[in-house]
Amino acid sequence: MPTDWPAAYLDGETAIRHRAIVRLMREGLEVTPAGGRTRLWPYAQVRQTQGAYAGEEVRLEHGGQMPEVLVVRDLRFLQSLHELAPEFSRRFHNPARRGRRLQLTAVAAGAVIGLSAMMYLWGIPLLAAQVALRVPVAWEEQLGKGVVDHVASPARRCRDPQLVAAIDTILGRLTAAAPRSPYTLRVYVVDMPIVNAFAAPSGSVVIFRGLLQRTDSPEQLAGVLAHELQHVLQRHSTRAIVQHASSGLLIAALTGDVTGPLAYGLEAARVLGHFRYSREAETEADTEGLKMLLAARVDPAGMIAFFEPPKDTADKHEESAADKYLSSHPSDRDRKATLTALVSRHPTQSVTLLPGENWRELRYACGAPGTSLQESPR
Amino acid sequence: MGSAVDPRSPFDSPRPPASPPAPPSSLPRTPSRIAESSSTPAVRQPSFRGEAGTLFGIHIVNVLFTLGTLGLYYFWAKTRTRRFLFSQTEFAGDRFAYHGTGRELLIGTVKALLVFGVPLLALHVIRERIEVPTAVKIAVGLVSSAVGFSFVPVAIVGARRYRLSRTSWRGVRFSFHGRTWPLMKIFIRGTLLSFVTFGFYYPVFLVRRHAFLVSQSYFGTERFDFSGQGRDLMEHFVRAVLLTPFTLGLYWFWWTARKRRYLWEHTRFGEARFRSTVTGGALLRLHALNALILVGTLGLAWPWVKVRNIHFAYRYLSLLGPLDLERIQQQAQFPSATGEALAGFFDSGFDLA
Repeated sequence: MPTDWPAAYLDGETAIRHRAIVRLMREGLEVTPAGGRTRLWPYAQVRQTQGAYAGEEVRLEHGGQMPEVLVVRDLRFLQSLHELAPEFSRRFHNPARRGRRLQLTAVAAGAVIGLSAMMYLWGIPLLAAQVALRVPVAWEEQLGKGVVDHVASPARRCRDPQLVAAIDTILGRLTAAAPRSPYTLRVYVVDMPIVNAFAAPSGSVVIFRGLLQRTDSPEQLAGVLAHELQHVLQRHSTRAIVQHASSGLLIAALTGDVTGPLAYGLEAARVLGHFRYSREAETEADTEGLKMLLAARVDPAGMIAFFEPPKDTADKHEESAADKYLSSHPSDRDRKATLTALVSRHPTQSVTLLPGENWRELRYACGAPGTSLQESPR
Repeated sequence: MGSAVDPRSPFDSPRPPASPPAPPSSLPRTPSRIAESSSTPAVRQPSFRGEAGTLFGIHIVNVLFTLGTLGLYYFWAKTRTRRFLFSQTEFAGDRFAYHGTGRELLIGTVKALLVFGVPLLALHVIRERIEVPTAVKIAVGLVSSAVGFSFVPVAIVGARRYRLSRTSWRGVRFSFHGRTWPLMKIFIRGTLLSFVTFGFYYPVFLVRRHAFLVSQSYFGTERFDFSGQGRDLMEHFVRAVLLTPFTLGLYWFWWTARKRRYLWEHTRFGEARFRSTVTGGALLRLHALNALILVGTLGLAWPWVKVRNIHFAYRYLSLLGPLDLERIQQQAQFPSATGEALAGFFDSGFDLA
C-alpha cells in the first residue's frame, strides 16, 4: 500500500489551493504543501468531514474554527489509513464497510416504504374512523350548521307540503330500520337546478331540485337518501378532515418540510391520496345505504337504476386507470356492479313506497314545472 | 496544537499583497499553487456531482430516525442532507463544505419558539380566552400582528447569517454582516408602499430586499456587490400581472426567469460578475415534470426532484471575468461579533429551516 498521496491543501487563511503530498505515518499525517514546510497532524486531532458518500472527496480538517484542510481525491487513501492506524478507525470512514452500509440503507428504505404504505392503506383510515367516533356531536353540529346555512339558506328551500311529507315518509321508513343515531336527521330540498345531493356533518342531507327531478320513482330517491344518510352515520366528513391532516403529516414526514414550488407538487400528491379515501367512503355509503334500503324493505332496483349512465354516454369510452385514480367517486359502472352483486346475495320482499302518490308531479313540486332535466349534466 | 511542527507556519514564499489584483495574463506566482484565476478561462460554472440515489439513502435513514425519535432527529437529518448537498457542489475545481450541526439548529428553533412562539401564544390567549375590554383586544391584536410581522425579517437575517457562516469553499468561510433593523425598515416601507401603490412598489421592494441580502454577504474578506434598481423590473412586473391571469398563470414562469436573470446579472464578486440564462419555458418544463414525479410517488421521489432542481439552477448560472482568489483572506472575526444583546441573541445561529 502506498503511503504517499497527492492532495490539495487549504491553509484556512486564504482561498488559495496548494498542491500537497500527504504521507501516512503511524502517529499521524505528514502534510507537505509544495514549496511549504512539512507539518504533522496527529490522528487524534484530525476530523474527517467529507468522503463517506459516493462521489465525495475525502476532506480532513485540523485546527479550530478556521481549520487547515486537506482534500484527497483517491478513496484508497482511507483504506491505507485504516490498515496503518487501526486504533483510530472510529475517527475515519471505512470504505470497506460501504457495501454493508448500503445493505442497511436498503433495509431502511424497505422499512420506511412499507411502513408508509401501511399507514396510508390502513393506519390513517383506521385512525380517522376511531377519531371520528370520539368527536363530540356538538362540534360536528356547529360545523354542519355553517355549511347548511350557506348552501341551503331558508330562502332557497322548497316548502311544498306534499313533497315535504313524501320525503319525511321515506326518511322515516329508512331511519326506522337503522340503529339509533346521535344526530337529528333532516332533509332539505334546495331550489337549484344542480343534479346533486350531499350530506353535511351532523345529520343534514341537502338535495338539489335537479337531482329530485331526475329520479323516476320514490325508490330512486330513497336510494340517494340512503347513500347520503350513510355519509352522515359513518361520519365521513369528520373522517375526511382527520385523513386530510394525517396524510399531510405522512407526506411531511416522508419528504422533510419542503417549501417553494415543491410544496405544490406535494399538495397535489396529497389531494390524490384524498381521492382514494373519498372513493372508499363513497363505496361504503353505497353498500351501507343499500343495506339500509333492504332493511327498510325498499326495492333496491331504484337505487341501482339511478347509477345507470345516461344512454348517450354509456358506451362512449371505457374508463381508463388514470380516470379512476383521478376521481373522488367510483365510476357509475363499478357502483352498479357492486350494488347488483350485493342485492343478489340478500334477496328481500319489498313494499311499494308512497302508494297513491303521483311521483311525476311530486318531483316537479319544487321549482317551475317542466324545467328541463338536461339542464346540467351529472 | 500539541504537535512539534507549527501547523500555522507561513509558507516559504511570502503571502501575496492584498492589492493590486493580479494582471490577467500572469501565470500562477509559485509552483505550489494549482493553476486558477488569471490563467483559466474566465467563465466558471458550479456543478453538482451527487447522485439522487445517494441522497435517497441519506433521506430514507433520516426518515427512519426522525420517526423513531418522534421528530427530534429532524435537526440532525437536515444537517446531514445539507452537508451532502454542499459537499457535492463543485466550483472551480473545489467542493463547498457545510459546517453546521444539528445541535445548533435545535437551539435556533428553541430560541425562535421562545422569542416569537411564546409571546404570540400569550397574546392569543389574552385576546381569545380572557374577558378583557374591546380596546385591549384591539391593542393586543395589533401587538401580535407586529410581532408576527417582525418575525419575517428577523428570521431572514438570522437564517442567512447562520447558513453563510457555516459554509466554506477552499477553507474560507462565507459570512453575512447585515443587521436585522435595516431589513426591518425595508420590510415596513416595502409593505406600506406596496399597499398604497396597489402593488406597483413590489419590484422596488423585492430588489431592495435582495440588494441588502447580497451586498452584506462576504466570502472571506471580499464582499458581494449588487447594483440592480427596482425600476428596471417595473415594466416586466406590470406585464406579468396583466398577462398571468390570461395565460392560466403560466406567464409567471417567464416573470420569474426574467427576475432571476436580472438579479444575477447585477451581482458581482470582485471583478467577476454573475450571469443567468434561465428562461421561462425551461422553468415551466422543470416544475411541470417535478410535479408529475412528486404526485406519482406521493412525495417519495423528493431526492430526485431536489437533484433535478440543483442541476437546473447550475446549468443556467455562471461567473464571468477574472477571479482574484489570492486577494481573499479568511475573515478575522468569526462569527462576526455583534453589538447589543438582543441582536446578538438573534444573530447567533437563529435558523428554523
